[in-house]
Amino acid sequence: MSFLSIQGLHKSYAATSIFSDINCEIGKGEFVTLLGPSGCGKSTLLRCIAGLTEVNGGQILLEGQDLVPLSPQKRDIGMVFQSYALFPNMSVQQNVAFGLRMQKVSKDESAKRVKEALDMVELGSFADRYPHQLSGGQCQRVALARSLVTRPRLLLLDEPLSALDARIRKHLREQIRSIQQELGLTTIFVTHDQEEALTMSDRIFLMNAGKIVQSGDAETLYTAPVDAFAAGFIGNYNLLDADAASRLLLRPVTGRVAIRPEAISLGVGDIDAEVRSHSLLGNVIRYRVEARGVELLVDVLNRSADDLHGNGKRLTLSIDNDAIREVA
Amino acid sequence: MSRVEARAAGLYHRTVVTVLFLILLLPLAGTLLYSISTSWSATILPDGLTLKWYAQLWTDPRFLAAFGQSLLVCFGALLLSVVLILPLLFVVHYHFPKLDGLMNILILLPFAVPPVVSSVGLLQIYGSGPLAMVGTPWILIGCYFTVALPFMYRAITNNLQAINLTDLMDAAHLLGASTWKAAFLVVLPNLRKGLMVSLFLSFSFLFGEFVFANLLVGTRYETLQVYLNNMKNSSGHFNSALVISYFFFVLLFTWAANRLNKDKA
Repeated sequence: MSFLSIQGLHKSYAATSIFSDINCEIGKGEFVTLLGPSGCGKSTLLRCIAGLTEVNGGQILLEGQDLVPLSPQKRDIGMVFQSYALFPNMSVQQNVAFGLRMQKVSKDESAKRVKEALDMVELGSFADRYPHQLSGGQCQRVALARSLVTRPRLLLLDEPLSALDARIRKHLREQIRSIQQELGLTTIFVTHDQEEALTMSDRIFLMNAGKIVQSGDAETLYTAPVDAFAAGFIGNYNLLDADAASRLLLRPVTGRVAIRPEAISLGVGDIDAEVRSHSLLGNVIRYRVEARGVELLVDVLNRSADDLHGNGKRLTLSIDNDAIREVA
Repeated sequence: MSRVEARAAGLYHRTVVTVLFLILLLPLAGTLLYSISTSWSATILPDGLTLKWYAQLWTDPRFLAAFGQSLLVCFGALLLSVVLILPLLFVVHYHFPKLDGLMNILILLPFAVPPVVSSVGLLQIYGSGPLAMVGTPWILIGCYFTVALPFMYRAITNNLQAINLTDLMDAAHLLGASTWKAAFLVVLPNLRKGLMVSLFLSFSFLFGEFVFANLLVGTRYETLQVYLNNMKNSSGHFNSALVISYFFFVLLFTWAANRLNKDKA
């Protein structure tokens, strides 16, 4: 029996169904990401688990106990919000201590645990500051400490990094992951950012239009997308319809075909192509080439000047056979 | 912009502000001077200075009664507003955000009807019958409540929109707080500023209200402005002392309000 088990969960507003028949199993200590475009129902699913949004049917079993009839106060779940949701009238210390105050934990015990939690997010010296005196990244770390201090059974993170700038986001990503592993805390993370999902998660649930499209570890999701949506959402797959694919591969293809841009090599092979445009992404050069009347994205590692090809240059390319995936 | 130009612009700005300030201050200064002069009629400057008008005013039991009654009516109306509007706002914004549009229209209704017109209506309804309140302070409290409503509602709404109410409540709930506890410990302290500002604004406004007070209650429960109106035939010096006293009180009140807000912000 898994730690968290969601069975046949259903949610709709009036006639609009947000998601229906969601089923998933999450093991203890797992870091799971709900990934999907905005409006796919991932945040609503998270809020349903937290009890902030009511469900219309189904079960959420945490350690075998059904959470659905419980109020959010009784679920023993910690949550971090995109907007931080720190209490502006309280200092950092008071914010973190709030949950313990509600549990009527003694003052000494509370002070000790608040200090531990703040040290864990490296904000031990900020206890007396107020939220408006902190940067976004610091606010989010306080919010993390606040949700950890009550030692919840489950930690929910609702796009906690989306409001932060790129450098801080990267740092906080690593910090969240290492704290989660240190505490062995079962965590569900919601994001629309594929890079965040791929780098942080033990397992990813890819969602679209209220359904879990695919689940698996980062490698499976990246290398073996099950359908056109999965291929389109993760990575920068070349998605070809049956016609274009048949023309390019010179063999009859019945379904759609997905080819990763880094599985195509330039300057080798026997497919004639012409460079349409290129852009330098740093260590990678991304080419837009045309081969046999089909436009393709090709990613090439930027190792030396030999890897640079000007627009209009004619060359040949080859496609790694294992990387050609037929998708539904 | 060169330094010379900047200095010229600075001078211009200062002149405009100074002139505006003088225009606003002059009548007040004139009234103040008149209120402390023995007599001032045919000369450029008053004949002599005295505080006797103030002494006369502040020992007049009718004035003191009017002053106290004004305070009572204002505080009563504001208390009623706070008790009714705070929970209402909370419910509207937390549970029924769609009602905000409707509330905004309702809130502006008191502005749509001029006080003179609505007091005629109020006289009709509350002049006799089971709700005969005309001539009592109760009708003023009820009436002032509707006057204060827009100020209070708008100020607190702005405050509420600035704090992301839903997320704060959700966070508090997940940390184990009941809705009541969350409202008192998390939401209310963050509304203090908007509440204070709107209270002081409404107070200054209501304290100087004349039309409703005069038409609905008049001398039966005399407020400060009605008293001032009734004294219009007495000495101008005395009236000036009254106006200055009134003005000084509101000034003091506003200053206290500002201090209170700055300390804890």
